[in-house]
Amino acid sequence: MDKIELLSPAGDLERLKVTLLYGADAVYIGGEKYSLRANATNFSLEDIREGCQFAHKLSKKVYLTLNIVFHNEDMEEVEKYINDVVLCGIDAFIVSDPFLISYIKSNYQVEVHLSTQNSTSNYEAVSFFKNEGIDRVVLARELSLLEIKEIIDKTLIDVEVFIHGAMCTCFSGRCALSNYVTNRDANRGGCAQICRFAFSNDGYNDFTFATKDNNLADYIGDLIDIGVASLKVEGRMRSLYYLATVIGTYREIIDNYYNNSLTEEKMSIFKKRLDRVANRETSSHYLLKEADYTDQYYTGRSEVSNQDYLGQVISYNKDKKLLKFYERNYFEVGDTIELFTSSGEHFEFKVEKLYDEDMNLIEVARHPDNIYYLEVDCDFSIEEYAMLKIVRRLKDEKEFL
Amino acid sequence: MKLLIEPSNKNKLYLDIVDGVILPLDDLAVESNIYFTLEEIEKISKNYNDVEIFVKINKNLMNNDIDKVRDILIKLDKLKIKGIFFYDLAILQLKKELNLDVDLVWNQTHMVNNYKTCNYYFEKGVKYALLGKEITLDEIKEILEKSKIISMVEVVSRPSVAFSKRKLVSNYLKNEGRALENKLTIKEKITDTFYDVVEDKNGTSFYLNRIMNGTSIIKELFDNECSYIIFREYGLEDNFFQLIIDTKKYILNGCLENDYNDYVDKYKILGDDTNFFFKKTIYRVKKNG
Repeated sequence: MDKIELLSPAGDLERLKVTLLYGADAVYIGGEKYSLRANATNFSLEDIREGCQFAHKLSKKVYLTLNIVFHNEDMEEVEKYINDVVLCGIDAFIVSDPFLISYIKSNYQVEVHLSTQNSTSNYEAVSFFKNEGIDRVVLARELSLLEIKEIIDKTLIDVEVFIHGAMCTCFSGRCALSNYVTNRDANRGGCAQICRFAFSNDGYNDFTFATKDNNLADYIGDLIDIGVASLKVEGRMRSLYYLATVIGTYREIIDNYYNNSLTEEKMSIFKKRLDRVANRETSSHYLLKEADYTDQYYTGRSEVSNQDYLGQVISYNKDKKLLKFYERNYFEVGDTIELFTSSGEHFEFKVEKLYDEDMNLIEVARHPDNIYYLEVDCDFSIEEYAMLKIVRRLKDEKEFL
Repeated sequence: MKLLIEPSNKNKLYLDIVDGVILPLDDLAVESNIYFTLEEIEKISKNYNDVEIFVKINKNLMNNDIDKVRDILIKLDKLKIKGIFFYDLAILQLKKELNLDVDLVWNQTHMVNNYKTCNYYFEKGVKYALLGKEITLDEIKEILEKSKIISMVEVVSRPSVAFSKRKLVSNYLKNEGRALENKLTIKEKITDTFYDVVEDKNGTSFYLNRIMNGTSIIKELFDNECSYIIFREYGLEDNFFQLIIDTKKYILNGCLENDYNDYVDKYKILGDDTNFFFKKTIYRVKKNG
C-alpha cells in the first residue's frame, strides 16, 4: 500500500513552496478563475507553471481547484483555461461539476478529483462518479470513520479526507445563505461565511451556528489503517506560519506512525503545537459520533489570535552564528524562543544578542517586516523559511508551549 | 406549461386543480414541512390518474440509507409515478443498477445552474431538472433554449436557503437552557431579513421568511416554452388556493398580454421579492494580486 498523502492548501506561490518544504506531498491551489476562494490571491498561469516545476523537482504534486458551481457564463472560457493549466503541468483538477469530469477525462491525461462541494456521502454515489472516470473522491465532512471505511471497502477508489481546519456548518454546496444575505455567491467562491454571523432571536441571546474547527490529529493512524489515500488540510487563505506549523506537525505524526514511533509523549507535543497555532477551538465533529452542541459556538465570533509567531528566517551564517530574519511580532532579549525548520528540527534557546538591520545591538525587536539578526549557536543547518516562535517571555515567565 | 405544487397540508393536496404534485418521501426527503409514507403515495397515485405524481427524495444519503432507498425505488418503479426528485447521485446510480423505468428530476438545490451540466445529466438518463433559485431569468431562458432536459422552475415559494445535518435549533436551545422546539425565526441584523430555521430528524433547514414572488416571470417562462413551473405552499397558505386557480386559468389562456397586468397586480399581495430572477450574484469582491 502507498504511503498516505499529506495534502496542503496554498494560497500563493510562497505558501506552495513553504508547505512542500515543510512536508506536504501535494498542494491544492486556486487559479484566477473557477475556484471557491475567489477572493484569495490565487495563482496566475505563470505562478501555476512555476509551482508545478518547483513541486515536480521534489517529486511532489500540484492540484488545481476548478470547483465552483458553474453558471452558463462560466462555461464560455473554461475549456481553454483547462488546456492552459494542463500545459502548465498540473497533476490533477478538483471539480464539483460532473460535466467537467467527462470533458477533462476525454481530452487530457490528467487526474480528476471530485470536490467536497458535492458532499458525496455514500458508496453508491461514489460508484457513480467512479464510473464517470473520477480518480479520487473528497468525501463529505459529515462522515464517520466507519462510513469512510465502508466506502473505501466497497468502491476501492482513492478517498481524500479533511483532517484539519475550518468546517462548513451546512452540507458543502447546499448552502446559499451568503447569496441571500450578502448577494455573494457561495458556490462561486464568494462565500461570506454567514454561519459565523450572529442573528437576532426575538429578545433572547443571538442565534449563532458557527462550528469549531476540525482537528483529527488523534485519528491519523485510524485513517491510515482504513485505507484513506490522502489527508487534506483546509486553509488556502491561512498564514505561512500557520501552514508551516500544521503541515510540519502532521508530517511528523504520519512519519512517526509509519515508523511505529508515535508515542503518547510525542502526540502530546504535536497536539499542543496544533492547539497553539489555531485561532478557534477544535473538534473531531462527525468522525466518531453525530456532531452535537459541543461542536459549535454560541457567542458570536470566537476567533482568538496570539503573538507566538516571532519571525521568518531569511538565512543563517553558521560561521558567524548569525540568524537573519523578518520580524513578525514583538520580542526582546531574555525571551526564550523556539526555532523550527522545514526538515522537522526544533531548537529552543534564550535570546541573548539581538541586532537591527545595521548590526546595532538592541534590546527589543518591535517592528513587523523589519529585518533583524540574532546570535544563535545551532549545530544543524537552517534554511530559508525556518520559523521563530515564543516559548517563554522574560517579563512574566509565562509558558506558551 | 404545467403547474406543479408542493402542498403544505396532507389533507389539502389540490389534486383536482393542478397538473401535478410533489410529495416528499418520509425519512428520505428534507427541506419540506410535510412528508408522505410510501403507502400514502401509493394510495394517491392509484386514486388520481390524471395528476402527475412526483416523489421527492432529496436527502444527502448515508451508507445506511442505501438498502432502504433501493427497496423504495423498486416499489416506486411499479407505481404510476411521473418522476423522482433527487439530490444524491446514489439515486441515479441505483436507477442504472436496478434498470428502473421511473424518470428522475435533477434537484441539487443550489447547483442546477447551467445548460451544459443539464445536458450532461440528460445524457445520463435524467429527464427533468429543477433549476436553481439563485440564477437570473436570463440564465433560465438560456438553459431553456440550449438544454435538452425538461426544465422546471420554482416560481412562488419561501425559498430553501441552506441545509445542515446538524441539529442547530436544539443545540442552540440546549446551550441556552431553554425548552426544546423545532423552529425559530431569526433576523439577520444588517439586512433586516428574517429566516425560519426548522429542525427535523434529518437536520436543519433554513427558509427565507418572505415569499419569492415570480408571478411576473410566468409569461416569459411560458413564451420560452418552459415545461413546468412550481409553487410551494409552505408559508403561503392563505392565498394558495386562489393563486392556483388564477394561475391555471392564466396559463390555459396562453399567458396573454391582456391578462398579464391583472394577474401580476392581483398577486402583488405576495410581496415584491423576485429573488434572483433580476439580480445577479457577485463572487469576487477584490481584484487578484
